Order: sequence, then C-alpha cells, then structure tokens
Amino acid sequence: MDAISPPQETSYQLVSGSKDGQRVDSRLLEEQIQELVAEGRRRIKVKAFGQHGIGGRLWRAGNEPVDVLVEGHAGQRLGSLGFPNTRIVLRGPASDDVGWLNAGAHIVIHGNAANGVANGMAQGRIYIAGSIGARGMTMTKNNPRFAPPELWVLGSAGDYFGEFMAGGVAVICGIDPQNPDNVLGHRPCVGMVGGKVFFRGPFKDFSRTDAKLEEIGDADWQWLCDHLAYFLADIERPDLAGVLTKRLDWRMLRALSPHERSGRRLRPVSAFRKEVWESELGRGGLVGDLTDIDRSPIPVIVSGDLRRWVPVWENGKYAAPCEASCPAGIPVQARWALVRQGKIDEAVDLALSYTPFPATVCGYLCPNLCMAACIKHSALMAPVDVSQLGRASIAARTPEMPPADDHRIAVIGGGPAGLSVAWQLRRSGHRPVVLDAAEQLGGKMTAAIPESRIPPEVLEAELERLRSTVDHQRLEKPLVPADVDRLKKAYDFIVVAVGAGRPRSLPVPGAERMVTALDFLAKAKAGTFRPGRRVVIVGAGNVGCDVATEARRLGAEEITLIDVQEPASFGKERAAAEVAGAKFRWPVFTREVTEDGLITSEGELLAADTVVVSIGDSPDLSFLPASVAVDRGFVKVDEHFQTSDPKIFAIGDAVRPGLITDAIGAGRRAAAAIDDILAGRRPEGAARPMIDKERVSLAYFDPRIVAYEDVNQCGDQCASCGNCRDCGICVAVCPQAAIERVETADGGFRYQAAPERCIGCGFCAGACPCGIWALVPNTPLG
Amino acid sequence: MLADRPITPSSLSVKDLPWQIAWDKEKCALCGRCTAVCPVQAIELGVFRKRLLTPSLDPKQQTGNTFATWYGVRQKTDPAHRCVGCAMCAMVCPNDAILPMRSDEADKLRFHINQGGQPRNRGGRRNMPGGILDRIKFTRISMLTDPALDAGRHEFELRTLLGRVLPPEQNLRFLRENGWIPPVRDIYPLVIGGMSFGALSPNMWEGLQLGVTYLNEELGLPVRICTGEGGCPPRLLRSRFLKYVILQIASGYFGWDEIIHAIPEMKEDPCAIEIKYGQGAKPGDGGLLMWYKVNKLIAAIRGVPAGVSLPSPPTHQTQYSIEESVAKMILSMSMAWGFRVPVYPKISGTSTALAVLNNLTRNPYAGGLAIDGEDGGTGAAYNVSMDHMGHPIASNIRDCYQTLVALGQQNELPLFAGGGVGKSGNLAANAAALIMLGASGVQVGKAIMQAAAGCIGSEADRCNICNIGQCPKGITSQDPRLYRRLDVDDVAQRLVDTVLSFDTELKKIVAPLGRSTSLPIGMSDAVGIDDYHAAKRLDIRFVV
Repeated sequence: MDAISPPQETSYQLVSGSKDGQRVDSRLLEEQIQELVAEGRRRIKVKAFGQHGIGGRLWRAGNEPVDVLVEGHAGQRLGSLGFPNTRIVLRGPASDDVGWLNAGAHIVIHGNAANGVANGMAQGRIYIAGSIGARGMTMTKNNPRFAPPELWVLGSAGDYFGEFMAGGVAVICGIDPQNPDNVLGHRPCVGMVGGKVFFRGPFKDFSRTDAKLEEIGDADWQWLCDHLAYFLADIERPDLAGVLTKRLDWRMLRALSPHERSGRRLRPVSAFRKEVWESELGRGGLVGDLTDIDRSPIPVIVSGDLRRWVPVWENGKYAAPCEASCPAGIPVQARWALVRQGKIDEAVDLALSYTPFPATVCGYLCPNLCMAACIKHSALMAPVDVSQLGRASIAARTPEMPPADDHRIAVIGGGPAGLSVAWQLRRSGHRPVVLDAAEQLGGKMTAAIPESRIPPEVLEAELERLRSTVDHQRLEKPLVPADVDRLKKAYDFIVVAVGAGRPRSLPVPGAERMVTALDFLAKAKAGTFRPGRRVVIVGAGNVGCDVATEARRLGAEEITLIDVQEPASFGKERAAAEVAGAKFRWPVFTREVTEDGLITSEGELLAADTVVVSIGDSPDLSFLPASVAVDRGFVKVDEHFQTSDPKIFAIGDAVRPGLITDAIGAGRRAAAAIDDILAGRRPEGAARPMIDKERVSLAYFDPRIVAYEDVNQCGDQCASCGNCRDCGICVAVCPQAAIERVETADGGFRYQAAPERCIGCGFCAGACPCGIWALVPNTPLG
Repeated sequence: MLADRPITPSSLSVKDLPWQIAWDKEKCALCGRCTAVCPVQAIELGVFRKRLLTPSLDPKQQTGNTFATWYGVRQKTDPAHRCVGCAMCAMVCPNDAILPMRSDEADKLRFHINQGGQPRNRGGRRNMPGGILDRIKFTRISMLTDPALDAGRHEFELRTLLGRVLPPEQNLRFLRENGWIPPVRDIYPLVIGGMSFGALSPNMWEGLQLGVTYLNEELGLPVRICTGEGGCPPRLLRSRFLKYVILQIASGYFGWDEIIHAIPEMKEDPCAIEIKYGQGAKPGDGGLLMWYKVNKLIAAIRGVPAGVSLPSPPTHQTQYSIEESVAKMILSMSMAWGFRVPVYPKISGTSTALAVLNNLTRNPYAGGLAIDGEDGGTGAAYNVSMDHMGHPIASNIRDCYQTLVALGQQNELPLFAGGGVGKSGNLAANAAALIMLGASGVQVGKAIMQAAAGCIGSEADRCNICNIGQCPKGITSQDPRLYRRLDVDDVAQRLVDTVLSFDTELKKIVAPLGRSTSLPIGMSDAVGIDDYHAAKRLDIRFVV
C-alpha cells in the first residue's frame, strides 16, 4: 500500500479556530494553515469551530507529507481539493461534503459523516468510522494516471448513494447501520457508470439500469481483505477483522458497461400480447370473437388475393370507335385483324355479314364515318383507310345461304334500306320478298347517284348478288292501304323501306320552274338533260353538291349553290362540287324564280338557265294503314324499327333522312329484331359500348405516315381498339412474368395473369396497344 | 391528353397539381412496385415515343427520321387520380427512382376539386403548419430558487386528476347527506384522444389499446385512451383493461346498446365517460362513416347492419340548451355506472367555451371539460371546416383556466386540452405549455398516429386521404389488404416508446421547476413567448 509515510516532525503545531471567544473566519484559518505549511511545518493540529474546507490544498509542502489532526467541529468540505501529500484525521463526526473534489488526501473520520461524502473525489482515501448521510460517493472519478479513489464506511450509506459514480471503490461494512434493513439507502447507484461498491448487509434495491450485482472474485476478495486491514487500523477497530472477513457476508455492485445497458429488460410486446392481452381477452385479441379474418402483417407488395388491383383481359368487351360509329355496325378493326393474319379474303367476306353493299357503300358512297371516328385522329394521325378494303370488297364471295324457312317478310322498297333488311333476313334463313315499283333494284343508288361517284359495274355486281339471293316482285301500280292489309295477312311481317321520294319545294312564286334534285340526277344519269350554262341550286347539301357535279359534267359553267344557312355538305360530294367550280353562297333567301333565274330576298337576280331545288325529300306514306303512326311526315318507330303496328317495321329515309349507310344499318337491325321475334326472343338492345379512347396507346405508331400504301399497311397501322392484336407486349412488359398466352379450345387464344405472380401493378394495362387489359379492384375481403 | 381533345376549365397539367412525380428514367427498373402500391392510382406505366433525327447536309443522303418506343412511369392529372404526395412509391422503389415533389407554387387543383358542386372532403388536419404552442418557451429554469430536480435521477410521479374535486367542506357535506362524493381518477396527463373503431382500422385500434395496457401493467404509467364514437369491442368491455378506457358517447350513439348489455358483466368500471359535443378539426360538423367502410366487423361493434352509411349528426338530437343538454347527459351517463365513473363533456374549441364552463362549474356531477382546438385531426370532414373553422386551443384553455381561478375553482374542475398537441413533433413541450396555461392534461390523437403508426399526413396537404379508406399505412382503412400492413405489436411498441420518451421530456421540463409529483397546472409564470400580443392575450411573460 502506498500509504503516506508520517512526517519527520514529531510535534503538532496548533492552530485555533477561535480567538478571543470569537470564531475565526474560514479565510483567516486557511491563511494560517497555509502559512505554517509554507514555513515548513508538517504536523498541524486544528481546533476547529465549523470552518470550511480544513486540510485541503496543502500543495505548498510539495511531496513532503503533512499531517492534519482536527479536533472540535470541522465545518463543511473537510479536506476539500485534498492533495496527495495530506493525511487528515478528524476526532469526531464530520459535516457535509467530506473530501469534496479530493485529489489524493487520506482522510479519516472517527465518527459519522453527513451528506455528500467523497462527492467528486478522484483520488485518495476516505475512511469513515461510522455511517454517512445522503449522496455519498457521488460523481467520483477514476483517472487512469492514478490509483482509484476509495471510500470506506464502517456503518451504512444514506439515500441516493453512488449517484453518477464514475470510478473508484466504495466499501460499506454494515456495522451498526443507521437503517438495519438497508445499508445502501434509497435508490443507490442511479447514473453509475464506473467503479465498484462492496457492501455487507441487507439492501432494498438499486438502479438496475445502471448497476448489477456480481459475485466477488478471488482477486477482489484479496484486495478487500488487504485494504480492510489498513481501514480498521486507521479507525482503530482491528477487533472487527474477524467479523468483516466472512466472504459470504459480502456482495458487490458494479456499473454496467455501455454494452450491457443497451438492452432493456422489458417484456416484449409480442409476449405481453400472448401472455396478458390474449389471456384476458381470449384468442384473437380484441375482436377474435367477432371475426376470423386473418389480421397478421403482410408486406406492401403482394400477389394473389392480397393484391388491391387485378388485371382483366377484356378482349372484345368494347367496340372500337370505327365500329361504334358505323351505322351498319361493321367491326372494321376485326377486318384489319384478319388482314394482319394474312386472311385478306376473310376480311373482305366479313363485311357481307353486315351489309350487302361493302364495295358500293364502304368503297365509294359512304362518307366513311368509321374513318372520321378513327382513334388515330386523336394523335393527329391519318385514319386507317377503310375505303381500300371497301373497294376490295367487290371480290367478296357470296356466302352459302341457309335454306329458307316459311317465314315470309314483305319488304316494300328496293333501295339500300329494303335490300339490307332483305339480305339480312335471307341470311337468317327467312324468306323476304322485295316489292318495288322500279324496274331496277337499288333505289336512289341506281336511279340518282352520279356514275362519277360509283362505277356502274361495282354497283351492278353487288345488285346482281342480291338478285340472285333475294326475291323481287315488281309492283304494277302504287300501293294503297288495302294492299298493305292484304300483305299483312300474307306475310309474317312487313318492312316499309320506301325511302323519301317526294321532293320538297319552296312556297315562292315560280316554284314550278324549278327542277327537283332527284329528277335532275335521274335524268342526268340517264343522259336526257341539258341544264344550260348557268345553274343555280337551292340547298347546298350533299345532294345539291351531286347536282352541281353532274351539272358541270353536262356542260354548265356557272354553278351557284345557295343556302339559308351554312351549307351542311361535307366529304367527297362537297369536294367534287368545289372541283366542279361551284360557288357556295349563304345565307341567301329566295323571293321568286323567274325565267331569268332566281331573285333573292335582297332583290338580286341570280341568272340561271336551270334552277334546281335540293332541300330534301319526304316519304310518300299515303299507302300506310291507319294502324301505323306517323310523325311530321315520317313513320314513327321504336329502337327496333317497329312501328305502332307490331307487324310492320319501317326503316331508311321513310323513318328519318340519313346516309345510305344509316339505311343499311337500320335494315340490319330491323332484320335482327324480326329474326329475334320469329325465334321467340326478346329483341336485343344496343350494341356493345365504345371503348374509352384513353385506353388505347398510339405511341406505338408513326405519326408521319400520312397515307397508306395498301391494305397490309392499313392493317399494321390499325390501333385495333379493344381487339387484342396478339402482340404479346403484355407478356414481355410484366415485371413478374405473370402473363401467359393460352390457346383456347375453339382455336382462339387469350392472355391471363397468374394470380400467384401478379402484383397488380397494371403494367399490362399501361403497355397494351389496344386497351385490352384493365386494372380493376380486387374482390373485397372481410 | 389526346391531341384531338378540347381542354376544359378543369383540364389540369402536372404543373397544376399539388404533388408532382419526379421519376428517373435512368434509375427505374420498371419493376411495377410503385404503380402497385399507389393508393390512388396516380401513376401508371406510360408508353412513350422518342423521335430520332439523323440529319444529313448531303443532298444525296436523306435526313433520317425514326421513332422508338419506350416505357416509363407517367403521372395522371385528373382530380380523381391526383398524386396525394404520400410517397409510398418512394418507399417501395428498390432504386430510389421516384419521389413526389411539392409544387413550387399554389396548385390549381384547389380551384377544381369541387366538381358537381361538391366541396372538397378529406381527412387529416388543418393545412397550416406551426402554431403558438411551439413558440411558448419554458423560461423558469430555477436551478437554485425552486430546488431544481434532476429529470434523469429523481423519482417523478407525474399524475393528474380526472373528475370533480369538490372543496373539502362540500365533500364532507356530500358524504354526510348522500353517502357519495364525485369519483376522481388519478391518471397520466397524456390521454389518447377519441378515435373510433371504424375511423381507425382494427389493427390500429387494437395496437393502441394494447400499448395503453402495456404502459399501465408493465410500466405503471396510468395512460388512458378514449374510444371515440363507434362503440367498443365486447371483449374489451368485459375485460379488466376497461379501466384504462374512456368510453365516448356522441351524437350518433353508435355501439351504446352493446355497452349497456355489457354493463352487468363488466369486471371493472371504465375510467370515465366522455360526452362528445364537438371535434376541433371539424367544429360544428358531424361525422359520416361511408357505407363501404361499414363491413361486418364494424357493424357488429357499432350495432348496425353492414353496408349502410353511418351519419353522426352535428348535434345531439334531443338537446336544446347548455343547461338541459349538459345536465341530462351527465346525469344519464353517471347513473349508468351508479355515479362511480367521472363524466365530462368534450367540445370543440370555440369562443363560447366559457358559457359551457360556467355551466359546468355549477353542476357537481360534471367531472371536467375537454376542449379540442382547431389543429385536431379527423378521418373525414369538409376542407373548409378543417382549414378555416375552429378556435386555437391555447387562448381557449387559458380563458377557461383564468375563469376558474376567478371563481376559485381551478383545483376542482379539470380542463383537458386537445387539438394539435405535438403537431410539429414537440409533444411534451406542447403538453407542458398547455398544462402551464391551465390544462390538467392533454388529449393527443394525430401525434400518436404519426408516431405509433407512421401516419404520413402533413400540413402541406400530404396524403390526408383518411376519408376514402385507402390509407397506405393501414391506419384508417377497413380493407385487410391495407390494414394488415400495420402490425398490432409494432403499433403498441411505438406507442410505448412514444409515451416513455414523452415522459422523460416532460420531466426535463418540469424538473427545473422543482416539480416531481404535482404537475405545474396553471403555473404560467414559468412560460414566456416572444410575441407581445400573444403574451398579452395569454397573460404570460413576453420574453425576448
């Protein structure tokens, strides 16, 4: 042991803390002690009267040992800032903070010590021959340059012992403790990070987050026994050596290392749930009695039933814009799909299921509403050119007709509407008969539409196909209501398709001088009309344009179309009229027609050799029986073209003025309704809805293609809205490789996403060129 | 948009949206996780066309013009699919290739989110960050004057009282005349505010209850939780854990028949009964649980058929005045448990709070008053209610406390403050500020959702879609596909962590005041603020 050897000096120099019965100020007593040390005195006896800090700071003696014997009442902080050369002995109890910031002094107290013993001590030894108050051995240090500080207490420690102790050794011997039930006081070792506490006797608890009880090892025990001897010697109680060296009586606390204190010893919540929560509430916890739905944690990205969204392959669920806009309902996109598959013949033939005039109408006469609706306009691209396919349809093969049954349907009128309904009824296996006064079937197509618009051989070929398929009876004289009643008895149904053959005229003076457009066109086509040099056409619609074109062909040079409003003409007819040099004027109102021409309401004379009136036609319905309701000159029909007389249907211009393709579509739908009724079915409603254009992706197409070279290029460039083009992009784009193509039993195919792989990202829907894949909410759970 | 489409007044571009998706083509692996996780389908795989020109100055060689197609993530711009900024895409992206960014200017969407004449409805909180509570500082650091304590070393028992504390002479008189004194609970000053089973998912609700039970039984912290209006699972009603629960009754009265049926079988009384008259986030408005959230489980707990919408009207239907309403509701609820359970009303922050308070001071059965300020949260409300209606909690609670002081009743009728406590993450500081302004405790909802369940909503209008049942964290959804993202144990653990750290922080604040057992309720000389007018209004120190 590196005990301080006693000074050479043998007698004590006395310093008194009182003078003339008055207490000496702490400052003066300190000055006296320091002066004695400076003078070389090494043994000093202090008669204390409560002075502060006695015996500390005696560094003026250098390494020479200094003994300070204190008698009387030492004040607070005895030996504070104590120096290693100093040995202080107090004969009696001590006040607060003995050995405060002790840096090496050896301090012996022959009695109890109050609060704060050894607070902040870093080196030295403090021996207490009694018990200590609160907050002993707090904030102690252990500087590696020196031996650790020691606090020896014969009795017990007060409350909050060892707070923030960062080093050193404290020994609590438990002899005559102040509280026999607890030698360590209340809550010892809070914030302790270093050092050891040996103690002997009962204790309550200590800060288990900072310290732990540990077995005393042999080395520690040896240290304890060795140092105990010095302690007992200094406090003059060697008699206790036997009592205090029973190893089993001793225990040791040491600070937890940072590593040891990282883990908290709380019950995990999961264990609490099982052991406490569910044991009180029952299995499944809070709502285990109300639901058996699995509520266990799942990842954020999931497949199968846990997906929030699932992809659906909706091939054919929606109509493409072309199909949806075609009055005849021709699935144009399906025809292009056949073209892409190299099935050009099938693509051509397909049209005959929808119209008997695929070449005449789709190829020439129709304004091609399908192309106007084509989705490619959405990206300012050229619409797929269906007229190429239309013109190719002249080669369509007449399908084998089913044997005709006994259902007879009288179709009054052999124009596009009548022929369409008759064609469809025959295809359905019924027996339609077309009744028409004209020598030639075809109505206006045959009689009035200029050959510049439709090559006669094309129309003739398609009419020939109809003649070979559908019966035609020529009417000798105009029908009267009684005829219709007879027909009702003889036929299952009657379809009125008489068109609008009665031209409308203007109620102005000289109206009789005007030629009607239909007359003009029919005579022009027959080559029996010379209109002269100047032609004025009242009504600048498409028929008026046809008149203008024909007039030009027949030699007219000055052609003027007038209208009361912005002309409604459009498309090929309008273009042809403009090419013919026709002038369009509007708004112009007619006051009178004279032999010089037409006089406007403004009094201007539009000189004309021929004035043609082309303001529309109305049907002649005088033959209809009273059972058929008429509204403003047209037959009233329902969505299936059935009139107020259930046996009579009406289609085409007799119902409302429209395009040839409107008439063809009406014929097809009326035929379907009749077929349904004959079969005992309720007629089907509207066609499938049109696809949302946003679903179709046009980024796959080259916007710089302005015209299509041939049907093959048309097929390639068709966006195939709503119709899977079987490109397999979805298979490739799926990040989960979840999508596969499956051949179906009927020789077709479908694409499907494997639920166990799919995460519902919707990439298939995003990438699909045709808008087939849709991402829909998964079936609700729970 | 398609090139042939006309624009409408409500046609929006990405620039017009509040949140814009920044997507990095270089980093993206096209794995599909972001589009799979997006709660509102704001993003999708897009097909893009890239035009490549290879110019040639040589007249004999044509300038090349080719198109290539590529794929990437595209943001939708229609209001129904607008990005809500939740950033779940960023959460799941393996390559950090995607992130929603807040627009650098006020969005244009706000002018168009009323299609069909329907004003905006949403969940979340007031879109206004900050608040006075964050600015209040604790200026009394009395290390020497008040015997300061050490928060890390001293033992604290921070408790507060819920229930009517009558003056001793009145208590004695009550006891003598009726054999009864008002029930009082000794509880932790942080109460988890009412969030209903239905507004919250089953996993969230159970996680909070489990955490509260753990705090009580493992850690000895008597934290209480309010059920909100939506009933209480029968098992909880019949368990000993009920004593940690404040049952709420509100204008919809959902689940109360189940509670009545359970009363004879209850092992413990509930902590208290809260009568909800108002909610700070949507003052003056009622609640509506949409039919699609009312699944079998919700229906069973609320005592209604599944698949019907459940409205809570803005007002209790049979109550017409403060006197009548408060008196009869408090009496009815007190009778249910034989006057053994404290009963108190909760109102939204309002300039009329003093009228309610004055009434309560004269009613010895009133167990307290809870006031919910404008910064509270909600599962669904009109945006205008959330952003523009309500009263800040600070001055409301202060006025009430000072009124109680004037009446000499500040120790008799506890005030509980809610609405934005911990809004900016300063839970303990906000709570301590309110306590020193006069609250006996605080009610906390939103901050707990954020801390315990990872709610990502914010005052920058991020996420805030609690109302549509698509909560990406599973907090406010009834869809197992979403709420199973939330682990009950994790919620409980986070709640425990949050309360423990709150406890330490609260100790740090009150230790320098020398308080270890009694809360510094109304100790307003300990707080200050650097805003002169706020200091005047709150009657606290102006400190600069």
